[in-house]
Amino acid sequence: MTLLKLKNSIRQSRFRNEPYLVINIILAGVIILIMAYSGIFSPQKDNYPVVCIHEKITGEPCVSCGLSHSFSLILRGKVNEAYKWNRYGMRVFLFFGGQLFLRIIFSFLYLKYPSTRKQLILFDIVGSSLLFVFTFLPFLIYIFKFS
Amino acid sequence: MEEVKNNSGQNLGIAALITAILTFVLAVIPCVGLIAIIPGIIAIVLGAVGLSQASRNDSPQGVPLAGLIIGIIAVMISFSQIFVAGRIARRADKWPQKIENIVNGVQENVVKDIQDANVSIKVESNGDTVTIITSDKKNKEQTLENLEKGNRSANDSVKVKK
Repeated sequence: MTLLKLKNSIRQSRFRNEPYLVINIILAGVIILIMAYSGIFSPQKDNYPVVCIHEKITGEPCVSCGLSHSFSLILRGKVNEAYKWNRYGMRVFLFFGGQLFLRIIFSFLYLKYPSTRKQLILFDIVGSSLLFVFTFLPFLIYIFKFS
Repeated sequence: MEEVKNNSGQNLGIAALITAILTFVLAVIPCVGLIAIIPGIIAIVLGAVGLSQASRNDSPQGVPLAGLIIGIIAVMISFSQIFVAGRIARRADKWPQKIENIVNGVQENVVKDIQDANVSIKVESNGDTVTIITSDKKNKEQTLENLEKGNRSANDSVKVKK
């Protein structure tokens, strides 16, 4: 019993010493929550709790309006309809899906190859940043066009 | 002998970095960009506290520093959304004025057309008929002049029949 407790405490302390793994796990959890949100709320009922603040203030739909609808429709396999709701929906969905996949793969590689951890983290930061910029470029252009 | 790492401020740093990354993603989505200011400020506070703890205890400062920097950038992007919304709202504010101008223009044109037009209104009631004839502006002016001169032959534009 005490041995088991000791093992658990060692595992926990090891885990605590690896912020990269903690961050990966939490980010993967957040992405799963986003997917769950898109799955739970249905586009037919239109019961999404998050409303566009931008549209409420300006009265004009913004570039990201319809993203929740788009995600829900993609999860239900209606890609054409999703494209009509938001033309960037598929791109953003693929980014989140890809990030979920990358979090799992990078965590696995991090544990498996301890000697290349620094390179792995650097590759992850650069790769994810580039992916982020590519995915959200239309949104960034929209923001900086007006500001 | 295993080296003991001092991880003071590390947990706060992790929390700051995760909050900052999420804030960054939220900040670039215009629909929820304004909300991102709140987690952004939380990320900055966590990052700053984590960084100060780490520097006080000589522990690694990379994670809290990253959280702090990403948090600051995310808050700046999120804050810029206020200007975006303001500018669009200002632009939208001009639309009612433009619509009003267009409506006024149309109204003026219609009134002018009616004034220039020859309109005949015939009202019949209990065998009495009243006909009101309006001629164009020039004719009206001529009629007015004629009436002023005392010319009774001028058409005063109202005929009453019994």
